[in-house]
Amino acid sequence: MKIRFDFVMHWIYAIAWALLGISGFAMVGAKYGWILNFNYAMADYIHRISAAAFVVITLVSIVYEVIKSIRRDDRYLSWHIIGRSGYQLFTFIVSLILIITGALIWICIEFNMTAIGFALWLHEYVSYLALASVIWHIYMKCHALIWPKKANTSKLSA
Amino acid sequence: MLQKPWFKVFVWFMATFFFFLASGVVISIFRPGPSEAEAMQFMMSMMNAMDKSMMGVIMNIAHSTLMQSIISFVAIGTFPIIVVSVIAGVIIRIAQRRSGHA
Repeated sequence: MKIRFDFVMHWIYAIAWALLGISGFAMVGAKYGWILNFNYAMADYIHRISAAAFVVITLVSIVYEVIKSIRRDDRYLSWHIIGRSGYQLFTFIVSLILIITGALIWICIEFNMTAIGFALWLHEYVSYLALASVIWHIYMKCHALIWPKKANTSKLSA
Repeated sequence: MLQKPWFKVFVWFMATFFFFLASGVVISIFRPGPSEAEAMQFMMSMMNAMDKSMMGVIMNIAHSTLMQSIISFVAIGTFPIIVVSVIAGVIIRIAQRRSGHA
């Protein structure tokens, strides 16, 4: 069985995004705390670890896309998380915004509250947009949820 | 791969997870509150997280003379242990080479 690189990256990215989503939204404010039972410490740890995975996955995908471009390889990778058009391009832009604002929140926490405020605002609202887009993406790709039909062996043997 | 039942279960889990997450976010936005108790719980939780972060651990160490003495004792002991282990490693390598095992 051959497992494609873009397929694996897509699902690792989905897992990282799911962990980042639940931990991130649980830290937005007191209204959201119930999502993880007000366990801010756990949400903080999960968010930091998943963010590291998220950054690595995004960078690997960008490098892969750049190499593909240098080789003038125009094959369309349907599972690839980033790309040159459509939802792949949207994911690429949103991922970069989330990574850059996340890094700003992480780096500037000691000395620049204005940058932190702006980065937090952008990080939060882009996350809402990204989550809405994930729901739309699942709706558009809902054929992946259809359960596989069993091979009809009696018909074949007849 | 996508046709395997265990993978279908995983895909269903992920899809359900995201729908529940989105529902949770929508509920959080439109629900009333937060109440004073919730705000306090959230603040306490934030303080707890800060306490367990690297900064919190360092601050706790700064206020604990016992931890400071343990760290200084360990730091003093680390350098000789490294030197002794390097010397022991070199001796083992030389001994193995002499006996023809290297």
